[in-house]
Amino acid sequence: MAARVVQTFSGWRTMSCELDGAASAVAVSRDGSQVVVAGRNILKVFAIEEEAFVEKVNLRVGRRTSVNYSCSDVAWHQLDDNLLATAATNGAVVTWNLSRSSRNKQELLFAEHKRTVNKVCFHQAELHTLLSGSQDGSMKCFDLRRKDSVCTFNGQSESVRDVQFSPRDYFAFAASFENGNVQLWDLRRSDRCERMFTAHNGPVFSCDWHPEDRGWLATGGRDKMVKVWDMASARPRELFCVQTIASVARVKWRPERRYHLATCSMMVDHTINVWDVRRPFIPFAAFEEHRDVTTGIAWRLPHDPHLLLSGAKDCTLFQHIFKDAKRPADRANPEALCFGPRGDVAFAAKEGLSANDPARRALPGDRRNPFFFIRKAPEPYDASLTQQHSGSVCSVLNVFQRCDAKEKLNPLENESESFVELAQRYCLAGRPFAELCDHNARIAMELCRHQVAQTWLILKLLYAGGDASPSPALLPNGGIFCGKDGSSGLGGDGMSERGKSEGHGDGGLEEPNEETEGSDVENLTASVGLYAAAAGLYSGNGEEERLELLDQDTTTSDFPEFSLPPEAFALRHEIVDGPAGLEHLQTNGPDGPGSGDEDGTDEGMRSACQGKVGGSTAGLGITAAESVSLISVSQPLFGQTLPPEVFAPAVIAMLEFYAERGDVQSTVSTLIVLGEKASGGVDTLVQEHWYLSYLELLQRFRLWDVATQVIRLSTCAAISALNHDSTSLNLNCSSCRRALGAKGWLCDRCRRCASVCAVCHHAVKGLFVWCQGCSHGGHLKHMHDWLSASPHCPTGCGHLCEYT
Amino acid sequence: MVSVVNTVDTSHEDMIHDAQMDYYGTRLATCSSDRSVKIFDIKNGSQILAADLRGHEGPVWQVAWAHPMFGNVLASCSYDRKVIIWKEEGGTWDRLYEYDGHDSSVNSVSWASHEFGLLLACGSSDGSISVLSCLGDGTWEPHKISNAHTIGCNAVSWAPAVIPGTLMDAPSGPKSTPVKRFVSGGCDNLIKIWREEDGQWAEEKKMEAHSDWVRDVAWAPSIGLPSGTIASCSQDGRVFIWTCDDPAGGSWTPKLLHKFGDVVWHVSWSITGNILAVSGGDNKVSLWKESTDGQWKCVSDVNKGQGISSGPDETRPEQ
Repeated sequence: MAARVVQTFSGWRTMSCELDGAASAVAVSRDGSQVVVAGRNILKVFAIEEEAFVEKVNLRVGRRTSVNYSCSDVAWHQLDDNLLATAATNGAVVTWNLSRSSRNKQELLFAEHKRTVNKVCFHQAELHTLLSGSQDGSMKCFDLRRKDSVCTFNGQSESVRDVQFSPRDYFAFAASFENGNVQLWDLRRSDRCERMFTAHNGPVFSCDWHPEDRGWLATGGRDKMVKVWDMASARPRELFCVQTIASVARVKWRPERRYHLATCSMMVDHTINVWDVRRPFIPFAAFEEHRDVTTGIAWRLPHDPHLLLSGAKDCTLFQHIFKDAKRPADRANPEALCFGPRGDVAFAAKEGLSANDPARRALPGDRRNPFFFIRKAPEPYDASLTQQHSGSVCSVLNVFQRCDAKEKLNPLENESESFVELAQRYCLAGRPFAELCDHNARIAMELCRHQVAQTWLILKLLYAGGDASPSPALLPNGGIFCGKDGSSGLGGDGMSERGKSEGHGDGGLEEPNEETEGSDVENLTASVGLYAAAAGLYSGNGEEERLELLDQDTTTSDFPEFSLPPEAFALRHEIVDGPAGLEHLQTNGPDGPGSGDEDGTDEGMRSACQGKVGGSTAGLGITAAESVSLISVSQPLFGQTLPPEVFAPAVIAMLEFYAERGDVQSTVSTLIVLGEKASGGVDTLVQEHWYLSYLELLQRFRLWDVATQVIRLSTCAAISALNHDSTSLNLNCSSCRRALGAKGWLCDRCRRCASVCAVCHHAVKGLFVWCQGCSHGGHLKHMHDWLSASPHCPTGCGHLCEYT
Repeated sequence: MVSVVNTVDTSHEDMIHDAQMDYYGTRLATCSSDRSVKIFDIKNGSQILAADLRGHEGPVWQVAWAHPMFGNVLASCSYDRKVIIWKEEGGTWDRLYEYDGHDSSVNSVSWASHEFGLLLACGSSDGSISVLSCLGDGTWEPHKISNAHTIGCNAVSWAPAVIPGTLMDAPSGPKSTPVKRFVSGGCDNLIKIWREEDGQWAEEKKMEAHSDWVRDVAWAPSIGLPSGTIASCSQDGRVFIWTCDDPAGGSWTPKLLHKFGDVVWHVSWSITGNILAVSGGDNKVSLWKESTDGQWKCVSDVNKGQGISSGPDETRPEQ
C-alpha cells in the first residue's frame, strides 16, 4: 500500500479545475480518490485522476434549488465512502448517500438549528454519529439511524465556528467559538463542557486535533494567530504561536510531519501556508495558485504529506503538490550586509551556515533557531589607529593581524580613519604654498598614504620651485626631473593614466628641454635670481621690490627664447610692467605677510593661466595686457624653464585620477591648495561635483568645520554660495523675550545686551548657545558644564532646557 | 579558524535579513523574521538597543535609512505586503506612513538621494515596484510600476543624483532637475534601470547577464567622476559590475567580478564607491577593489582571512 502511494506520488502533479461557483469547503473520501466541493451554489463530487479532476456527481439536482443545499461545510465519512454530510446556511444538516441509484442522493435532513450551521463532523469510529456546530450557539449530535438529534450541547456563548472530534478520546470533542473561547466537551454530558479556555482575541474560526500528538489542538483566529495547545495537561497550555498576516480561516495539520500545519486565511491573503510551528514567523511552504481567498483545504490522504486539495472563492479546485510549493523561508535572505560609512562592515548571518565554527555553534534544543548577529571591523591593520577610531566596533582582531606585511602598507584598510585624520589635519590655506604642500605631504606620509604624500611634494616642486635648498647642480635637469616624476608619480599605476600624462608630459617637454640645455648657464643664474624673488614674495618684504623688478629683467631675457616670440611684447612690457607690479605690492602690503602673499601668488597664477591659454591657442592671440601680467608676476616656476602648460595636463590628470579612484579628498585638497593654478584647466561642473562629493563625505563624518572651511576656500562660485544659504537667525532678547531686530545684540526695549551668558553674566563673544524654549543661553562651555549638573535653566526661569 | 570579533545577541528571535547603518554610521537598524525592527546605537564601541519597532505582521525583509536632513526616518518592508515608514520624534518612533498597495511580499526598499526629497522605491514579489514620494503637506503619493519583473522584484537601488551644475543656476535661474533613476533586480534574472520622465516611470534599460534570480543590486555612490557603476549579484553565484560611461545612460557593460560557489546574497558599496563588499551563501564576506588595470581583486576575505594586497599601487617606495 505504502509502496503504491510512493509510486503514484511521482506521477501526481499540480492541477486544477473550474467550478460553477465559489467553494466554501472541501472534503476527501477515505481512499483519497474523490473530493467533494461544497459552496452556496455548488455541491459536486470529483474523481481525482492523474491528469485532471473528473466530475462524478452533481448533488444539486432538480430545478428547485433548495436553500438546504446552500452549503457552508461538507464532511466525508472516513468509514463509509458513500456517506457525506453538509451544513447549510439556513440551519439544515443534510446527509447524502452516493450509493443511491436515483439522481437525488439526499438521505436525511435535520432542520433543527435556527441559524447557519458552520461545521459538520463525523465521528472517526462511529458510523452513525454526526456532530454539527451552528451560528445559533449550539452543537448537536445526530444519530443517523434516527430522524432527529440525540442531544444538544449549548456552549452558553456566541456562535460555534468549528467542532472536531478528538482522535484520542472516544467521547471528547472540541468546539471553537466566536468569542475566542475553545470548549472541550464529553459526548455523554450535554449539560456543561468539560473545559473552557480563551484561546484567541476574537473569533476562533477553526481548530484541528493533531493526528499523532494526541493532546495537541491547533486553533486559528481572526487575530491572525495560529496557536497550538497541549490539551493533555491539566490546564491547556500554549505550545506554539504562529503569526500570520491575515485572519486564519482554516487550520489543518500536515500528515506525517509532526510540526507542520496548513492554514488559509479569511481575507487579504490568498495563499495556503504550511507552517513549521517551531518557526512561527515565516511559512515553511506556500501555495499561491489561488486568485481569491481559499476557503477549504484538505490533505488528500491521511498519510501522504505531499498532496493538498483546496477550494477557493475564485471558483477553482486545486490539487497542490508539495514540491511545487513556494518556500518563503528558503527565498528569504539569510544574510545581512552593510558597508558602514566608517569602513566597518555589519554582517549578520544565519547560524546554521557556520556550524563548524566552534565560536558560533548551534544550540541544540532551542526551538527558536538561534541566530547570532556578528559585527566586525574587517580591516584593522594598525592597532594604534583603530584605537583612535572612536566610532563603533574594533576590539582585538581576527585573522587580519596574521596577514602578511604587505597588508599593512595597504591604505585602503583604514580608509575612513585616515580620511578623517587627513580632513582634520590637512592645511589648506593661510600659509605659503610650499609650506602647505610640505605640511600636507608630511601628514599623508604619517598616515601611510605614500602616493598622496608624493603628490604633494611633486606639486610643490612644480609650482613652488622645488626644495628650499636647491643645489645648483640639480637644477639643469630639474625640468626633466619634474616632468618625468610628475607624470609617473601622478599617473600612479594606472596604465591609462600614465600613458595619458606621459603623452602630455613628453610632448610638452621635448622642445623646452632642448632649449634648456642650450642655455644652461643663463637659466642657472636666472633661476637663482628667481628663488630670491620667490623668497621675497613670500616674506612680503618691501625691500624685495627691487629684486622682483630685477628678475623681471632676467625673465624677459630668456622668455622670448621659448615662449614669447615677438619682440614687440618685450618692449611693451617694460612700459606697463612697473606700475602693475607696484600695484600688487601696494595692495598686498597692508594685509600682512601671510594673506597678502597668497593673493599675490594666486593672482599671478591666474594671469599666468590666462596667458597660457592665450598662448597655446595662438601666439597672435595674446593681448598686450595679458602678456604683461604674465611677465610681471614672474613666478619661480616660469623661471624654471617650464611654462605651466607643460605640466598642467599632468596635474589635471592627477586630479582626475584621484577622483576616479574615489579619493575626492586628495582631489579637492590639492585643488584648493593649488587654487587658480589648476582650476582653470578643469571644467567647473566637474570641479563642483568633486567639491560636493567631498562635502557630502565630510558631513557624513560630521566634520562640519572642515566642510565649512572647504566651502569657504573653494574657487567654485556655486560651492561658495552654499555658505550664503539660510544664514539668518532670528533672535529673542534673553531678558524681555522680544524678537531682536536687525541690530543684533542690543535689545531696543530693555537697552541691554541680549547675549549675556546666563552663567558668568558676561557678554558672549564667539560660540553662543541658547535654549530655544526660554531664550536663555551663554558660553558653550558654561552652559555645557551647568547642564551636566542640572537640567534647569541657569537663569532660574524654571525652564527645563533642552540642548541637542 | 576565524575568531569572531564581536558577537552580539540582538535578541531577534529569528533570522536577521538586513542590517543598515545610518548616514553617520552611529546607528544600526536590523530587521528579522520575527517581525521586529531594532535600532542599536553603536557609539563608542558598544551596542545599545535604542528602539524596537513593532508593527509588521510578517517577516521584515529590509530596512533603509533616509538622509538625516529629514530627521531620523527609517523605512521597512515586510512579507505582510506592507511598507512602513518610521520616524523618530522626541526619542520615540512612530509610524509616519504605511503603504499597503502591494499584493505580495515587499522585498526591498531604498531611499533616493536626498536631493529628491523623501522618495522611496519598493520592490515586491508581486512583480511591481512602487515609488512613494512625500508631498509637502505630509501626504504620500504612490506611483506603481506594474509588471516590472515577472515573478518578483528582489532589490532596488537608486542612482545618485549626479547632475553637476544644478547648483549653478540657483537661486535665480530655473533649476534643472537631475534625472531620477533607479535599478532593480528580479526573479526574471534581469536587471532593469528605470527613469522618470514627465512624472511617469519608464524602463530605460534592460540588462541580462545572470542566469538565475538577481538577489541584490547596488548603485555605487558617485564620488569623483560621474560615471555610473552598478553591482549586481545573483542566485547563480555571480557578481557583475556594470559600468556606463555614457552620460545619457544608454550603454552599460558588464564585467564579471567573480563567480562564487554559492548564492550571493548581498553587495554593498563603501561610501566612496571604490570598495565592494560581497556576502555569499557560504557565510563569507569579501571585499573587492578595482585595481588600476581595471581588474577587480579581492582585497580581503573575512572568513578565510586570505587577504590579498590590492596590487602595487600605493606601495611605491618613493621617499
